[in-house]
Amino acid sequence: MIQTIRNFFIALRQIAVGDKKYYLWVSLLSFLVLLGASAYISQLNRGLIVTAMRDQVSWGLYISNFTFLVGVAAAAVLLVVPAYLYNFKPIKEIVLFGELLAISAITMCILFIMADMGQPLRVWHILPIIGAMNFPASLLAWDVVVLNGYLAINTAIAFYVLYRLSIGKEYKMSVIGPLIILSIPWAVSIHTVTAFLYNGLSSRPFWNASILAPRFLASAFCSGPAIMLILFQIIRKLSEVEIDNKAIFKIAELIAYAMGINLFLLGAEIFKEFYSGSIHSAPIEYLYFGLHGHNKLVPWMWFATTMNITAFFLFMFPKTRENFTTLNMACLFVVTGVYIEKGMGLIIPGFIPDTLGEIYEYTPTMQEILVTIGIWASGALLYTFLLKLAIPVYTGKLRFFSKAQIVVARDIMSRRMALVHPETPVTDLIRQMIEKHLSGAAVVDENNRLVGAVSDTDAISLEIGETAGKTTADVMKPPSAAVLQDVRIQDLGKILAASGTNLLFVVDGDGQPLGTVAGSDVLNALENIRQE
Amino acid sequence: MEQDESRQRGMHRRDFLRGAALGLAGLALPLDRADASFWEAFFQKHFREMNDEEIKQVISRLEKEYAQKFKKQIEIGADKPIPGVLYGYGLDLSRCIGCRRCVYGCVAENNQSIDPQIHWITVLRFRKGEKWVDLENSEKYYSPEKVPEEEYFYMPVQCQQCENPPCVRACPTQATWKEPDGIVVIDYNWCIGCRYCMAACPYGARRFNWGAPNRPEEKINPKTHYLGNRPRYRGVVEKCTFCIQRTRKDPGRYPACVEACPVGARKFGNLLDPNSEIRYAIEHKRVFRLKEDLNTSPKFYYFFAYGR
Amino acid sequence: MRTLGISGIGLFCFFSLLLVSSPAVPIEHEVHKKFLVPPPPFSEGIFPCSQCHQGMPVNRTPRKLEMMHQDIVLNHMPGGWCFDCHNPDNRDTLRLANGKIVTFEESYNLCGQCHGTILREWKAGLHGKRTGMWNGEKQYLLCVHCHWPHDPVFKAITPMPPPVRPSDIK
Repeated sequence: MIQTIRNFFIALRQIAVGDKKYYLWVSLLSFLVLLGASAYISQLNRGLIVTAMRDQVSWGLYISNFTFLVGVAAAAVLLVVPAYLYNFKPIKEIVLFGELLAISAITMCILFIMADMGQPLRVWHILPIIGAMNFPASLLAWDVVVLNGYLAINTAIAFYVLYRLSIGKEYKMSVIGPLIILSIPWAVSIHTVTAFLYNGLSSRPFWNASILAPRFLASAFCSGPAIMLILFQIIRKLSEVEIDNKAIFKIAELIAYAMGINLFLLGAEIFKEFYSGSIHSAPIEYLYFGLHGHNKLVPWMWFATTMNITAFFLFMFPKTRENFTTLNMACLFVVTGVYIEKGMGLIIPGFIPDTLGEIYEYTPTMQEILVTIGIWASGALLYTFLLKLAIPVYTGKLRFFSKAQIVVARDIMSRRMALVHPETPVTDLIRQMIEKHLSGAAVVDENNRLVGAVSDTDAISLEIGETAGKTTADVMKPPSAAVLQDVRIQDLGKILAASGTNLLFVVDGDGQPLGTVAGSDVLNALENIRQE
Repeated sequence: MEQDESRQRGMHRRDFLRGAALGLAGLALPLDRADASFWEAFFQKHFREMNDEEIKQVISRLEKEYAQKFKKQIEIGADKPIPGVLYGYGLDLSRCIGCRRCVYGCVAENNQSIDPQIHWITVLRFRKGEKWVDLENSEKYYSPEKVPEEEYFYMPVQCQQCENPPCVRACPTQATWKEPDGIVVIDYNWCIGCRYCMAACPYGARRFNWGAPNRPEEKINPKTHYLGNRPRYRGVVEKCTFCIQRTRKDPGRYPACVEACPVGARKFGNLLDPNSEIRYAIEHKRVFRLKEDLNTSPKFYYFFAYGR
Repeated sequence: MRTLGISGIGLFCFFSLLLVSSPAVPIEHEVHKKFLVPPPPFSEGIFPCSQCHQGMPVNRTPRKLEMMHQDIVLNHMPGGWCFDCHNPDNRDTLRLANGKIVTFEESYNLCGQCHGTILREWKAGLHGKRTGMWNGEKQYLLCVHCHWPHDPVFKAITPMPPPVRPSDIK
């Protein structure tokens, strides 16, 4: 146990290590966090009067951001469902990063709620037993339960998986299987409950529409994964984590469906409001056309609508969704569109006109904006740190072994490798090696058995010479440097020394390649064991 | 008896858990706060969970705090509901002239903040012959030379003391609740300031202390009730309580707004007393309640005593 | 069986009679009830009226007043006259149409001669302002406290200032 905690702190040290860009990024975020914190301190000292919220519009930017982020958090489920239920491998490998995003998003949600509270020190009053939680009557009490529960579930899953990976073991489905199954309805519940928070108020006709919860889910399933798609591309660019294009395109396809449903539900709402034209359509009229000369949100809403519709078409056609320029544009559009529509576009019209018909147009103050930026920056910082912790574990750079343990090739191998067939054109082979930052590729036959290997030196000689028309078969060498997955680490060293290569392919009993072991991996592991 | 005991044991365990958890939470808070009353206030229990002795202690602490702050003795009552009383309010729209005497009468009695301004009563002005249900056609900031004006009528709105109050359901901490005499009250020391109740209220009756409430000492009404007009804090919600500090006495004075109204448009009494003015109004006039479609069942009745 | 039925009907009729004959307790029937009122709103130093009118001959001819009370312009009943309400034989009292004498403190009876429904509602506490204890001693205002009897339409007053707009709360 103590060992585990010690290892955790060793892993935590990763956060302090990075290149110049990393330090720049962290300092930028820290600066923004401090800026937000100082704005928040002035809010603490003077009260929420520093915001533009008033009795007429009693919730504003904070709750808008909260609502949007609950959606982002819930969207992690979009990855979990296909990954675990249908065992879609490309997505399964990256689900961890989605869960870490959910953790960060929920943390931001909690921070936004705290920022919005008039008496934050009394927050314990909301807890059961020590406080006086109004459960089950108050939907806000429900929200406290489901949000914290979701945070706990995701933290448990993510850290369990990381822990298992860090000691070089696969995670046990029997342990996290139930948690994963639970997390699916739970993710739906956090967004449903948040929708019900507004939905249940008969005093606010704009929110009091039963379509709200489905709309929340649909829009969450567009914006959340869109954020993830952007993050995945950044992750794979900046680290050695490999994220398959197949996974990215699959997610993009799912976004297209969600976006379609989202637009349909929005259309249904708009039809009902404008066609029936009762006095309860005043808020939506305010939103899209302005009311009695008040129209601050109108340009924003049309902008958001344009963004959403454009994004929908970009996601819908395989041609645009599988082109990274248009895909990234679509992601950006959908995130912007949903952020406006489901943030300020949802919260503010609940209060305009207010319950006594007054129209007070709310525009957030500088202080509110700074606090909001600060919270976003802390979320980004948290996500950065989580990634910094998770990536080395995930890629196998960070492993902890106990002395008693017999460390074998499987424990220290890197699962990242290029797989090619003998008939693969050499140009493709080289592109794969460059894209994945690899110094070798495994050549497999139609049964996925290792039949040969290509090293970077082979590739270089090719690059200098003539590549046109050549296939992998022309350049590959017999797989002399292959080891079985359960070869002990001490023997690995000897094999490496004897074979004269720096890269061993690890295969299972059937001769199918599982990963690679480089000399540095062996050194790393031996060093770890020695330190114990 | 046995049940009582087990419940008590339950309470002890609860208290212990509360103590333990808060102790841990307390560690995270600044320990250099020298005044013990900060911690006493921090750990103060929910009003309804306190027994009479604890209420007394809290009140004496608060009275001391107030005395220090306002440099005058402020008396905090904690009168309990009078059995057999359910308060009801009537407002005769055919009389109301929109003069806002009630608004300021209320402010004087109930110690609302002057700056930032808090009013518990809102008076709306409607043009005769226009859609009434469409509240966005009303005017709250009217300011003519004289009232009433020929072409308008007026409707004051304040807390409607719903029998089925959406705000109470919404509150995540049970800091607001409906008393047996029908008054919806707030424990200002328990409210966390999330303002969900304000979103839930269909009558715009709840007010938030966006900044620290401000009121000249000489204007403080020293006769207060814990659940009513005692001085409030920054960051908590407040609202009309039918002047609980007055009306929960036997005999008790009329609410301040009733006394302030120059035209006698405001009626108040016990809904359970067949001889009360409010019952007379309900039985003899065609009354209505605001937004009845929401099924909140206000105990605030509007009526037209005569047709002009 | 049969007898029981008949006696049952009899019992029913008996109770129905009881129900019909027991009167509701209408507040307006309490004619003799005294209402606690503040002093009538006389002009400064004008009451008792007898201090001037004592020994003054009574002139019953309707006319424009030129010596005193010129400020009173009767804008109430068309064709009305002082003695429709004031008692010519004792100026410190008022006189109902039926000849009954009432004091100024009970002037509501005088008003109620024409405004019967309003008097009924005033007594019930619905018309007019009441102060005091909601569950104890109440104080009624007289009609004349709000309606100057010679020109009774309620006069417009200056409203108190409107609330501060949310954008101006800083």
